[in-house]
Amino acid sequence: MAIYNGLDAAHEHLLDVAKACLLAAGKAPTLTHRIKLMAEIVTDEDMDPIIDVLATLGENSAFQLHDAVALQSLQKQNKMPPILLLGADLMKPALWDCGACGFKTCGEYLKYIQTNKGLGVGCYGPTCVWKAIDFGTMCDYAAACSAQHHVESRIMFSIGACSLLLGHLEGATMVLGLPIGPLGKNLWFDREAWKETLNFDQKMMVQLAGGPTNQMAFSGGGNPIIKSKPDWWDNPTFMKVEQDETFIERDVNNKAKAYEKIMRYQGVFDEDE
Amino acid sequence: MARIHIDELPPYSPPDQAKKENVLIVAKLMVNAALTAPLTGGVPGHEAEIVYGQKEIEHVAREMERLAHKQVPKKLKKPFLYEAVMARESDVIVFLGNKRAHETPMDVGCGLCGGEPDCSFVYDRVNHFNGLIDATDRSRETAIKGPLCVLRAHDLGYVIGSAMWIAGKHFVDAKSCYSVGLAGRNLDICMKSELVVGILIAAASKNPYADIPPNYHLTNMAKQIDALRKISTITRQIPNHPYHTFDPAPKTGSGKKKEE
Repeated sequence: MAIYNGLDAAHEHLLDVAKACLLAAGKAPTLTHRIKLMAEIVTDEDMDPIIDVLATLGENSAFQLHDAVALQSLQKQNKMPPILLLGADLMKPALWDCGACGFKTCGEYLKYIQTNKGLGVGCYGPTCVWKAIDFGTMCDYAAACSAQHHVESRIMFSIGACSLLLGHLEGATMVLGLPIGPLGKNLWFDREAWKETLNFDQKMMVQLAGGPTNQMAFSGGGNPIIKSKPDWWDNPTFMKVEQDETFIERDVNNKAKAYEKIMRYQGVFDEDE
Repeated sequence: MARIHIDELPPYSPPDQAKKENVLIVAKLMVNAALTAPLTGGVPGHEAEIVYGQKEIEHVAREMERLAHKQVPKKLKKPFLYEAVMARESDVIVFLGNKRAHETPMDVGCGLCGGEPDCSFVYDRVNHFNGLIDATDRSRETAIKGPLCVLRAHDLGYVIGSAMWIAGKHFVDAKSCYSVGLAGRNLDICMKSELVVGILIAAASKNPYADIPPNYHLTNMAKQIDALRKISTITRQIPNHPYHTFDPAPKTGSGKKKEE
């Protein structure tokens, strides 16, 4: 006989839900019938390196920052949900000679990958398109299982990419993260921790960059004013396409910093280096 | 008040048609699930089409058989032929197509397509102007015109998964197939998509998509029923006689006691 703290007990139950999600992913119907699911459940402080690398990349990119800030906040509040890492080797072809990868036959593809395997921003490639689709179905089943348990979840490329770089799920060419939780409603949409991260002007600039025509004045003149302030006709502002050396330099430095951290976590450097 | 009698045999009889209407409802719900599946960045990019009716399904099955004989590699020949049989045994087919993988990549440099930290692998191999892909040349040298944005293609997996999940929740059998999707796309089903997958759906006492014997395109139940019709027609003509006036069966053993 015992009285449990309800919320703590529910939080502990998330680990069981994560396991159930994995069972669902394993039972997902596939097209190729030739994909092997790989998975890990990462909890609490074992998430620290992943969050650290993500936050570093986030210093120059809103996308990674968005997720890093949310995870850091959960860490601080002691509410870190178990993170399901789902991965698979998507490089081996289905041998259908379908052409979707860009090669006429799977034979030509196999020849190409002998010498052209490589790493992008967050995944290894090239990839068999049908394996990538099957992997999507597996991840979908995991997410659907979580929804059936009324547990928040969100497929996260950012967590997956950092996990892959940090050596989780060795042999996988793509890894995705699926936080199973936390307890609450729409927390991955309405992120409390994000409220103060970008200010109003920054948020409006993101919006403007995403759809400049929405704030475009008469375009018939050929160089339309972009309405970026209340009295937009006074000292008007225009859009300009140009190379941004400063941003590129920042990006390169930022990635170097992140990769150095990854190598440290991987034990490539001695501690005193 | 109506009485709706439901039975799965004979195929396309009124009781079977009534059952098919139920399955059509599930197919529509599957499309809802497909369209609300989680996607990369939440970006919409999929279309769905439902094929329903004996002739409509027959067209798809025939294109699958054409592909089996004329286009796909040898190892896919039999799976395509078998799945054409399954298509004919299905009540409804849901097609799900990805509109973006061939035309509007994610442009994020993920690495999936070519293992490079940019999107050059795709853009170096397709017709484009400053990154705007011209997909108006629809001629193909392969079944699928590649290369495709693999991260976009990956999204199609979620769309299929959510549809299949709903099928399972409603206890109808479902099977997602490359063969069905390819045939459907060739017939201009989901015509905005290069990548199309077909989901066969059926409510039947025996799952039509499992327990498949060898040479199933020749040994399936429709073939067996047709064979029975063929053989029984001949067989009955051999031991014939004027049944009005003559019964060759022995009087004894008929179940009735012989009258004293």
